[in-house]
Amino acid sequence: MTQLLENIKVVEVAIYGFVPSAAAALADWGAAVVKVEHPETGDPVHGLSAYGVNPGDGGVTALWEVFNRGKRSVGINIGTPEGLELLMQMVDEADVFLTNFMGSARRRLGIDVDAVMARNPRIIYGRGTGHGPVGPDAEKGGFDAVSYWSRPGASIAAISPGGEWPVMMPSPAFGDLQAGLHLAGGIVAALYQREKTGAGSVVDVSLLGSGLWAMQGSIAGCYVKNSSSLEQLDRLRPPNPMANIYRTKDRQYFVLGMLESDKYWEQFCAVFGRQDLAKDPQFIDSRQRAKNNAACVTALDSIFEQMTLAQVREILDTQEGQWAVIAAPGDSVHDQQALDNNYIQFVDYPNGARLPLVPLPTRLNGEEIKLRPAPAHAEHTDEVLTAIGKTSDELIELKIAGVIS
Amino acid sequence: MINLIAGTRLRSAVCDMEGIVIRQPEHPAILACGGVPMVDVKNPASASAERIAQAEPNRALIGKRYVDEESGLEVLCSKQGLGGLSFDGRPLTLKQAKPLPASD
Repeated sequence: MTQLLENIKVVEVAIYGFVPSAAAALADWGAAVVKVEHPETGDPVHGLSAYGVNPGDGGVTALWEVFNRGKRSVGINIGTPEGLELLMQMVDEADVFLTNFMGSARRRLGIDVDAVMARNPRIIYGRGTGHGPVGPDAEKGGFDAVSYWSRPGASIAAISPGGEWPVMMPSPAFGDLQAGLHLAGGIVAALYQREKTGAGSVVDVSLLGSGLWAMQGSIAGCYVKNSSSLEQLDRLRPPNPMANIYRTKDRQYFVLGMLESDKYWEQFCAVFGRQDLAKDPQFIDSRQRAKNNAACVTALDSIFEQMTLAQVREILDTQEGQWAVIAAPGDSVHDQQALDNNYIQFVDYPNGARLPLVPLPTRLNGEEIKLRPAPAHAEHTDEVLTAIGKTSDELIELKIAGVIS
Repeated sequence: MINLIAGTRLRSAVCDMEGIVIRQPEHPAILACGGVPMVDVKNPASASAERIAQAEPNRALIGKRYVDEESGLEVLCSKQGLGGLSFDGRPLTLKQAKPLPASD
């Protein structure tokens, strides 16, 4: 079966996580992505330690693989006239150009919108920025912890009740990966538009815009409540004890998510053999459970504290209300549901290393996504430049001159 | 001993490999391919060593750069043969990306 983006050529001039992850998403859908790296230094992700995970741990550089699986890499110094011309020859043939270089760098290098679209008016120019193309911070750099997480309020909103300090992002590149998908979606929309108009376009996504998009429930809610933050869930006094976190005898956590609790309460009590709770007037409906929430949570705690997670799981699976074990990120590789849906896919490497990666979660017609390892730095320089017509003698001369890897 | 200044073109005495010095070493020493000193590319007369028949595990690949971290020597393989490169007895290694240290 043909993949959606087969034969779509993407040229990526980007570093770190945000825009490279957009290109990785396009590659998952079958696009041919060529990543242009500096011949000497390459993308900083080759050397990035994040959350205690170091390059080479486990025989691979995990974040490099996350952001760059399925691509080819060329080493070109686009700061030289010869290197820029090589890039532009790739632009001539490309459908999509992606960058997260800052405005000043794009202008200095000659790869800003005008230059690229003059060269190829049908190209889709995808631009990832920290804070958007206009306004006082348009030229200011950002990272997701700064622009996606902290500025839109997530960092404050994540503080648990009683906590003092704002909370850092829960996962490396948490914001980059979300914003990257926003950009990938925009690229696909622009390709659709080009089918109708024949013209290329500029697609803008910023970390700030994506962070605000994710936080808009709080932003709108704060406005109508005239407050700066929404109330955080107090586990002991939740508005709905059926949408709350509980702990088992073996110190495992699970969450109930029964928003329409009146639908489930009676059956829920019955499967735990506690019909008495279902009949208790102080817990009889959602209004009463909200009013007597502390007593209700205490009653449920006393049930779950006597049981292991395995016992709770077996019983909860016999009722209809929504719930889940609260898993640690590393547990996901054992989640059969995730494996069956190809939400987690193991990639094997020639040196024997293995890595679970998450394929693009958007699927068309049930098409299989097959992930491939990321390239080594500048691995495909000769192959890609030969394909745009360079002879081996020309390549050697460009190498001696330090223009290419 | 050949002076390994940038631009010097050399060839293997034991296979078809040819290379170009991109960065000069800090100290002079012998650059070898397949364990035998390389010769000036224009000097066919000095290719007297017995040719190797099998690719070495660290065989120099065309278009790749090889470095000796200790001396700073960098050699570009411009024609592929069977041998691997060494400088002053130390095997050269494939040049890797050198990103700035970064941490999150």
